[in-house]
Amino acid sequence: MRLYKKEGNTLQILSSPSDNVEKGDYLLVEDTNVNRKMITQIIDVQFASVPGILEELLRDSTTEEQIYGENFDPLGVSSHINHIQDARMLICKIRGAMVNDKLHVNSSWLPCRSKSGITKISFNSLLERVGGNGGLPINVGETKDGSPLNITAHDLDGRLNIITGKKGTGKSHLSKLLVLGLVDYGATVVVLDLNGEYAGLGFSAKGGGNQYSDKVHVLTPGANFRVSLSQMGLSVVLKILIHALGLPGTSTREFKHIWKSLSQQGKFTLHDLGEAIRRCSCNMHVRDALFSRYHSLVNSGFFTDNEESATSFVKLFEKTKKDGGALVINLKDVSSVDRQIVLEYTLGTLVNLLDQWKIKSVFLFAEEAHLYLRETYWEDIVTRMRHFGLFTNFVTNQPDTIKENIYRQADSIFLFNFTNERDLETVSKAARVDAETVKSIAQELPPHHCLLIGKAVKDFPVMAKVRALDIKTMGQTRLFFENRVSA
Amino acid sequence: MKLSLNSMKNIKSNYLQPTEKPLNKPPTEHIENSTTTLGIQHPSTIKTIPLEQSLDEKTVVAVDVSSIRIGETETGVLCAIRGAIAWREKNRYKYQRIGPFPFHITEQNKKEIYKLFKNHGFETSDHRAPSINYIQARIGNLLERWLQLGISCSAYDTIILWDGSMTAGMADSAVDEMSRLLEIARNRLSTVLAFSKNTTLRFSGHKLTDYAEKAEPPCLLQINGFPLCSGPVLLLGDVYVAKLTPGVCSFRLDIDRKVPRERGIEAVQSLLGSDLLVQSYPETLRLAHIFSTFTATEVIGIQRFIAHQYGLKIVTRPNVRRLLFGPFGKGAEN
Repeated sequence: MRLYKKEGNTLQILSSPSDNVEKGDYLLVEDTNVNRKMITQIIDVQFASVPGILEELLRDSTTEEQIYGENFDPLGVSSHINHIQDARMLICKIRGAMVNDKLHVNSSWLPCRSKSGITKISFNSLLERVGGNGGLPINVGETKDGSPLNITAHDLDGRLNIITGKKGTGKSHLSKLLVLGLVDYGATVVVLDLNGEYAGLGFSAKGGGNQYSDKVHVLTPGANFRVSLSQMGLSVVLKILIHALGLPGTSTREFKHIWKSLSQQGKFTLHDLGEAIRRCSCNMHVRDALFSRYHSLVNSGFFTDNEESATSFVKLFEKTKKDGGALVINLKDVSSVDRQIVLEYTLGTLVNLLDQWKIKSVFLFAEEAHLYLRETYWEDIVTRMRHFGLFTNFVTNQPDTIKENIYRQADSIFLFNFTNERDLETVSKAARVDAETVKSIAQELPPHHCLLIGKAVKDFPVMAKVRALDIKTMGQTRLFFENRVSA
Repeated sequence: MKLSLNSMKNIKSNYLQPTEKPLNKPPTEHIENSTTTLGIQHPSTIKTIPLEQSLDEKTVVAVDVSSIRIGETETGVLCAIRGAIAWREKNRYKYQRIGPFPFHITEQNKKEIYKLFKNHGFETSDHRAPSINYIQARIGNLLERWLQLGISCSAYDTIILWDGSMTAGMADSAVDEMSRLLEIARNRLSTVLAFSKNTTLRFSGHKLTDYAEKAEPPCLLQINGFPLCSGPVLLLGDVYVAKLTPGVCSFRLDIDRKVPRERGIEAVQSLLGSDLLVQSYPETLRLAHIFSTFTATEVIGIQRFIAHQYGLKIVTRPNVRRLLFGPFGKGAEN
């Protein structure tokens, strides 16, 4: 391999067909004279622009059609000519430089063109060189060369991450893998499970319990996830009424009076609340508004007056505090209004608990968050909430539903295949990688392969095949023709 | 092939300096079509011979050879040669490429090469080995004559197409050798037609081919009055201008002088029925040219082969013209 050209942070390297290099591989350009190394990653492999190639191909194309012939080439020169024809140009992005074995991000240094040696380097040895492998490893899968790829739990701690890719590429699978990886190290994880896909985390593929059986708590609103009014502070109730049920300002003020009065009386049943609204000497329209919201709360089935059967987040988090655990909020078959009620309660309660230091921090995994997360939460999550200890991981197949500023502030992106240019354009706005890398590599990712970008991989983007998990698969598409053999 | 291997075996150099010719420009052939400037004796005439396509389909065979300069070493020049035979048989084109053969020509081995020329009748009048720079073309001619001989000996009742003319008696076209080639072909009922893409022959100050502009194709213009010989140079063929299809192109066509005139014209009529003709040029001959010509990629490939096989390092020496004249330096440095 020979260095050909450098433009900005793009390096062009001339390579012969026998060089075993592919898109995504890392190359080390080493200039021994100055004891510097440049770390580059191949983002595209093109044919080298060899002079005369067009004539060559035109001549060859004639022979394919109706002209038959053979070459008498006793000296074997043809193999060298073919070699030239197949010469490749590797388009590489500079990821950093190493000066005296220390990593520098400065890419302005120009290695010697004639003397530099270029070698392929495995991702793991690259991480070793830059001192990247810390403790608490989470095995994501394997790199292209078959070596295991680990990220560390530290890489997800205090971070904002996005898992995205088109339908059926393995996003949820990776998300589950990260959830269990965090649980392994005693972390508390809350999963907002839109399609009931995470319910099988505590079961092995064959159906029996697995090592996570005691650590995965699936909460289904209205079934084993119900809350009492007494558990909620006024702030949480108001969030539900205002954001989930759209209670207007005047009615909100009236509700505050009612709640204060009930609080003084120590009466926090649904029945008491209904009676208080009925007795309220307010404007008829305000009362009607309050009643309609009250009935929505009652009809959601999420609220109970039975303190015994009410779910206590505090108690659940107590369980997860020692050995870690995952609370899976199963939002499958929950109407959009009820979903928002549940979400407002969950997030409101979480923030309260974190604020009061009842729990240290929580990793939140949100699937298709745009379907239930209100507008103002996006800003909150990336700015305020992480200071409370709520670390969010968004999982989506519609990248444009996540705001651009979220991409810019994302610490890591786990990118699965996208073929749609617009989707790739959206993801390429991420601050931690150049758009060319995203567009070039993500379009060719096979299923269950992802491109890891950002802090999780020390800003060295890498392609990985996500490893399989021994868990019960849920959320699979139901097929009509599943058992029919095709003709 | 043996000559190629022998010449290459004796490389005593550490480097190969690639040829200065820009490789993105198509390499030119180093084998010039053998045309000559012969005076026309007066009175001379031009006669138009209309042609009719013959239904008697015959096999058409064409030969062409190309050579190209690959670079220089400390002691000499490196060149490569390749020949191509193309033939049309039963509406199907086939080809055989021979080579490429690299050669290392030095002052030391040029005598050995010259000896080989002499053995094949390529003797020049001054009896001295030609300059290194000319040997490349000579080697190409040698291969071309060898291929032509092979075809003359093996083909029967065939139209044999040569690239160039039938002018003999020059350094690269010995009279005896060329006469023998034509005779063998004649005895096997084959007819040799030699097409020149360029000719220096003029008639009344005009290029011969210009006279075919107004002629109705397919036709031949017979030029009478050319001297058969001029000094050592001898015309072994009757000279015609061939305009075989509509279009702007016409070519000097030499037909073996010892073939009866009618049989020669019949051969051209057979060619009309046996081969595709584009711009008056036979497709078989065009293919032979295409398959023998070196592309820039091939030149790089051959340079790589030589460097790899003989352990030479490819270096580019500074171009003196470019150093002295900058953008005003024209052409490659010699």
